[in-house]
Amino acid sequence: MADLAQDFSSRLRQLIAKVARRDRQAFAELYDATAPQLFGVALRIIRRRDLAEEVLQESFVVVWERAGDYSAARGAPLTWLTTIVRHGAIDQLRRSASRAEDRTASEEALLALVAGEAYSADRGAELGALQRCLDELEVEPRRAVLLAYAYGLTHEELAAHLGAPIGTVKSWVRRSLARLKRCLEG
Amino acid sequence: MRYDNPEMRELLAAEYLLGTMPRRARARFERLMRQDPGLATLVGDWAQRFSAIDRATPAEAPPARVWRRIEARIAPHSAAEAPVMAPPAQSLREALQFWRGLAVAASAVAAALIVYLAAVPGPVGPQTPRVIAVLADQGGEPEWIATAGPHSGEIAVAALRPQQAGDMRSFELWRIAGGTPRPLGLLQPQPEQSTVLSPKDLPAPGDVLAVSLEPVGGSPTGLPTGPVVSQGKIIRPL
Repeated sequence: MADLAQDFSSRLRQLIAKVARRDRQAFAELYDATAPQLFGVALRIIRRRDLAEEVLQESFVVVWERAGDYSAARGAPLTWLTTIVRHGAIDQLRRSASRAEDRTASEEALLALVAGEAYSADRGAELGALQRCLDELEVEPRRAVLLAYAYGLTHEELAAHLGAPIGTVKSWVRRSLARLKRCLEG
Repeated sequence: MRYDNPEMRELLAAEYLLGTMPRRARARFERLMRQDPGLATLVGDWAQRFSAIDRATPAEAPPARVWRRIEARIAPHSAAEAPVMAPPAQSLREALQFWRGLAVAASAVAAALIVYLAAVPGPVGPQTPRVIAVLADQGGEPEWIATAGPHSGEIAVAALRPQQAGDMRSFELWRIAGGTPRPLGLLQPQPEQSTVLSPKDLPAPGDVLAVSLEPVGGSPTGLPTGPVVSQGKIIRPL
């Protein structure tokens, strides 16, 4: 399992290196290998399919232009690609000012996912470690962090969604991030 | 400036990655990140910490138009470079739909279709897979289509309509050159599933591709044992 994931990562790394040299065949292969996963992430953040398609499209244009910036120091290749898509999606959200409540319809699905029933050991150690550390947080701060990451809610939107004062939400997020870092590195 | 404080840097990187910053603060942080590679590294570390959530998010295939738009955005605007681009699987599916429609609408003999195919370039643009052969049944009806790719040295073969082999039979593809059949592989009988083969010796124009009905799993002898149900000449090099 770990070997498969590593093979996939090193394959993506090779493709990105070729894309940096303007290899269109490699670019098409990179798209085929990653677009479904990345489109899933874009759809999760932006509920509107047309906007999610636009984000995916612009993200791959960015990949074509900036593949040369990628290096192993920037993390796993799929994480690098995902970060580009997430940032594009969040920028799109901030522009379109769509309402948070329209985007969190599947909060239960997300919480179930991270709460453990939807995945098991075969999902890999990373998810297991993240879950363990998320489990150490209190319920409301954990929801705040997850809603922000998965759906791109701002502090204001989190406050409205969770029915808590904005100052409280900000400190939940802050403390949760610090605890997560300690836990994941510990 | 408060960006000198290590704890503050860490927190800002995390909040940026999380996405909680308002638009203007995001833009400011992005400017800083460009001048300060250390900040970009912190953001990358946070991305890695949360990435498991994205891996656990259900994947969904985007519609084919997304890839077409990406191609258009990065187009070199030169016909010479364009054909180098390999088609993603979706273009192949679309091309197959086109050919299937053509095959049904024409309902003409395969020979006429082959003349047509040889005469015109692909109809859907330079990224359309190149048709290298149309395999017709005894009555001249086109049944299978062979295209080059998706990667060099590969052939994709797909049924133009569902093929009935029966429970105890498989469709096997053969390349016949100089009168000698060589097995290329078993074919999927359903039109939405194409079979990608990478033959050791590439079929060349003039060779014949033939489909025979064989026992499940393919001919046990290395030569066709059942009837040849469809065949067609290779009309273009791979």
